[in-house]
Amino acid sequence: MKRLIPVLLLAVAACGAQPADSAPATTLTWAIETQPITLNPQLWAQNKVRLLVFNQFDALLSKAEDGSFRPWLATSWKVSDDKLTYTLDLRDDVTFHDGTKFDAAAVKANLDQFLVPGYNPAVAAIQLKAFDRAEVAAPYQVKITLKEADALFLDFLASPYAGQVSPKALKSAKDLRFGGLDLAGTGPFILDRYVQGQEIHYRRNPAYNWPPAGAAHRGPAHLSEITYRFLPEAAVRIGALSSGQVQVIEGVPATDVALIKKDPNLALQTSLNSGTAYSYYFNTEHAPFDDQRVREAFREAVNVDAVLKSVYQGTATRAWSIVGAKSPFYDATLENGYGGDVAKANALLDAAGWKQRDAEGYRVKAGKRLTVREVASAPFVRDRRDILAQAVQAQVKQNAGIDLQVKIVDQGSAQKALDENEYELFGNSRGDSDAGAALNLILPEKAAINRTRFADPKVDSWLAAASATHDQAEREKLYARVQRAAVVDNAIVFPLYVPADQIAAQKSVQGLGFDPASGTPASAYDVRIGT
Amino acid sequence: MPKLAHVLARSGPKLSHVPVVFLAVLALAVAVPVLLTAADPLAADPLNALAPPNADHWFGTDHLGRDVLARVVHGARHSLSIGLAASLLAVACGTLLGLAAGLSPKWLDEALARSFDVLSTLPELLLALLVVAITGPGTVNVIFAIAIAQIPNYARVIRAQTFVVRHSGYVEQALTFGRSRLAIIAGHVLPNVLGPIPVLATIGLGQAVIASAGLSFLGMGPQPPAAEWGAMLSEARNYLRVAWWEALFPGLAITLTVVCLTVVGRRPQRRFEGRKP
Repeated sequence: MKRLIPVLLLAVAACGAQPADSAPATTLTWAIETQPITLNPQLWAQNKVRLLVFNQFDALLSKAEDGSFRPWLATSWKVSDDKLTYTLDLRDDVTFHDGTKFDAAAVKANLDQFLVPGYNPAVAAIQLKAFDRAEVAAPYQVKITLKEADALFLDFLASPYAGQVSPKALKSAKDLRFGGLDLAGTGPFILDRYVQGQEIHYRRNPAYNWPPAGAAHRGPAHLSEITYRFLPEAAVRIGALSSGQVQVIEGVPATDVALIKKDPNLALQTSLNSGTAYSYYFNTEHAPFDDQRVREAFREAVNVDAVLKSVYQGTATRAWSIVGAKSPFYDATLENGYGGDVAKANALLDAAGWKQRDAEGYRVKAGKRLTVREVASAPFVRDRRDILAQAVQAQVKQNAGIDLQVKIVDQGSAQKALDENEYELFGNSRGDSDAGAALNLILPEKAAINRTRFADPKVDSWLAAASATHDQAEREKLYARVQRAAVVDNAIVFPLYVPADQIAAQKSVQGLGFDPASGTPASAYDVRIGT
Repeated sequence: MPKLAHVLARSGPKLSHVPVVFLAVLALAVAVPVLLTAADPLAADPLNALAPPNADHWFGTDHLGRDVLARVVHGARHSLSIGLAASLLAVACGTLLGLAAGLSPKWLDEALARSFDVLSTLPELLLALLVVAITGPGTVNVIFAIAIAQIPNYARVIRAQTFVVRHSGYVEQALTFGRSRLAIIAGHVLPNVLGPIPVLATIGLGQAVIASAGLSFLGMGPQPPAAEWGAMLSEARNYLRVAWWEALFPGLAITLTVVCLTVVGRRPQRRFEGRKP
């Protein structure tokens, strides 16, 4: 059977080849963990499906590992001295998959789309908060004016949100919110099949000749077709890889890392993600986490190192701050500042009035059990976070008598619980390529995902100042203050680990790698089969 | 599995006692689990996770360092009580509905009987899944789901029995003597239609245990960290390649329970059918 598979693949590849397509036909099947909740890049929300976005779409800029920006669909850009006007020169040889020409008017249409009320309120309120207007200065030159300086604006232009969608599709797409076959982009692959719960299939864009600076090759993609199969079960993905049903998988559980490393036919790569660490955010608005002592006690009750070792077999990187260790803004002085002191946890809870215990050993105050609820949305559960939650649950129960209830529900139910303030704990990591963008979403009083319901004008002003300046050193200083306020002074967050991505593949698959901006698997543009 | 049950049932008196002994131990695990294990099924010891079976942990530890033996023993309560409650509920409702159908006017009987038939066309587990999909996960919902799925089995048998009894001499005699319908149903019909129920129920219990483990495996039953055999299997499947013991023991518990219930249930069945036990 194993011998038959390459033959079959060749046969399938031969069928898929088009006469106009001069590059050789090769196909690849890649098993991924997470199903996209939308295929529209402008509404993108899951870091785990970032690898799909840049198959179909190109952004205006691309971001390098060192944080600098490189040309993509925009060949150059100028920022005025007052930091309010961005002038972008665009490539003049780009066409969307639906035949529409890419030009300044298209860029304007894409930016203006975010102004449609309710389209993407989070992005409109944060990344595009300063956006005033876009103007067509010349057929291939666009002028963007901001209301106030925003150091994160270039980062936005390099993000999936800046994935350019055909203006025709923006008007006529059957389901704009979900995206799909008629939402044409300019990317190296054309989406031609999406089957919910099963797979997503792309074929090569033969006209493609505009990869970002830094790509390993020019011209069309190496692969003529690529299929991503949705296999949420880790064991199934591993089995599919080792039996040869798929050639690449992402999301390799810690228990299987050693087995893959031992297999001479497989190769494993890992990369830490950018953005924020996976953390529990405490809802500070109501009891019991309105009391800082209870928040600190919760952190002290968990032996994070032991938990990570048991859940991830020592492959996870412990987080100490809300900002991930890969980010240049990470404040390493927060390390070893808290956690794992069970005696302190119990003393804090006693002091906070949770003195009695009930029959099951949980702490009680005024007849009410010390219960906290974590509501998680299933599409965002990755890296065995459900098991991690169970480990934390056992630790806080055994060490401090806290009753942690974990509910993993569908996206709608989770959103409802969050909207109705029916939660005490919220687990989240953000994959933003600039950690500042994530902090802007999480910490300010009116931020879109301020699940701590914490408000401190000082923190808000530091974040605003950091967003306004282009001076990296100044931003670093301000973000350090913000991190200290969140982690130490107010203890509104419990950082757990720095998310990482893994790719395991058969050795014959070359060119796999990670997006330097995010640390998540890169698009399939440079991937090829053979030597 | 029927084959295995067959072998167990036929291979001499000694071996045939094994299922009874196993079920007795199981009953003990349900009633007083602490007699069988001192460990807390929920106590996690992350530094001692995925330890193979050893002197301290006879069945090893799971991915959070919990004692697998303790979880299997304490899990008996969840798994069996769901099966038992679902079976009792199904027997009660099935008997009432079957009796109602058997004694109703023809049109109502037809309507009830056809609806049993329609429900019977769906596999039990599928029907139970459908019910849980509507009601949401949880122990009580799973009990109702399995019970609803099993009701037609009992109702059809009771309906058929009711027909037989209804036209028997003693019922007609009672009618001639002018006794009230209710008294006849309670005094003559009901006691005489219940004969096959213990047999059906014993086998049905085994099926209910499998169904409850299956639903729990899919995350529909008792929620983590509760120890339930199906849920344990589901958690263990990601560790199969590194920790076989985490999946083996709950799996064995489910298999042995169902096999033993089937073997034990066969005996009264044979007796009832007039064959030698």
